[in-house]
Amino acid sequence: MRDTMLGPMRSDRLLVVAAALAGIVLVVLAIVYWVEPAGSLPSFFPGYQAHSSHVHVKHGLAALLVGLACFVFVWFRTGPKRRAAAG
Amino acid sequence: MILAALISYPRAVVLGLVQGVAEPFPISSLGHAVILPRLLGWNIHQNDPYFVAFLVATHLATALVLLAFFRRDWVRILRGLGRSLRDRGIDPEDTDARLGWLLVVGTIPAGILGLLLQDKLRSVFASASSAAAFLIANGVLLLAAEQLRRRAPQTDDDDDVRIARQVGWPQAFIVGASQALALIPGFSRAGATMAGSLFVGLSNRDAARFAFLLATPIIGAAALLKLPELLGSEGNGVRGPALAAALCAAATSYLAVRFLMRFFESRTLVPFALYCLAAGVGSSIYLAVS
Repeated sequence: MRDTMLGPMRSDRLLVVAAALAGIVLVVLAIVYWVEPAGSLPSFFPGYQAHSSHVHVKHGLAALLVGLACFVFVWFRTGPKRRAAAG
Repeated sequence: MILAALISYPRAVVLGLVQGVAEPFPISSLGHAVILPRLLGWNIHQNDPYFVAFLVATHLATALVLLAFFRRDWVRILRGLGRSLRDRGIDPEDTDARLGWLLVVGTIPAGILGLLLQDKLRSVFASASSAAAFLIANGVLLLAAEQLRRRAPQTDDDDDVRIARQVGWPQAFIVGASQALALIPGFSRAGATMAGSLFVGLSNRDAARFAFLLATPIIGAAALLKLPELLGSEGNGVRGPALAAALCAAATSYLAVRFLMRFFESRTLVPFALYCLAAGVGSSIYLAVS
């Protein structure tokens, strides 16, 4: 019984850790979008344009929104079990 | 003076009145903003910076009207969101909290798609001809939604309770994401969300209510994001007409929302579908021969 419970618990914790990491990365990404012009972004970033001085404010907002969503997910998942099951 | 002549006050009033009606009605306000100037022979194009700045004012007015119309609901929803964050979970009995998170889940994909695709889609589908073609497609979408809708049993519960019980998380995400269709001139945001809500099993009235609640943060945020353009150099010469248009849009959107909430108590999307088909076909023919 205990073994069968451990699997889902581990995967749930893994999901929470992954969401927290994704949230941090996305918030950092948002800041990068806001402070770096499109020409200075790493070339693998969406919105990269060589020699462009345009700042992708909207890309940054999109990254921030998803990042915040990840943090909200973590907040609910790590709450009291009774509530987490309901949510 | 030259800039001021770009959108005269009478034209601003017409555009404001139409925007106010066409935003809550499932008939594409952006499509009308693209087609109408062309049909009337006005030299206004939807990608002109001054016109974008002008539209910001009318959209902001519509969002404020929606917010005011559903203000009591928003207070309850925000309190519900606060309770769920405090308790770190959504109480199954707390329909305000659930509805609030359904709106968040629906708004995130719409917001992201809007932020990333708005400028590209508007520049690709900028012509009145394509807007007329998509208006026809919008009519087909509305008709299909009425034909293929899931008729779930309706209860006597409160409107928000019915919505919170009927709509699941994946469905809220899909219905919300469907708002991105409205980035294409000719497709309606209200139409896409109402159609999606009918597929989920909501009644016409609940679908309209959910669509208006979903639309408020998106329209408001999009307008606020573009507000610097209206207040900046792009808004020079159009701020006066934009204010006049915003007042007209506020008046007509209030009347339109009030009308629609009563209309959908017993009626369907079919009249709007027929209007879109007729207006789309008529505009297409006129634009082709003119």
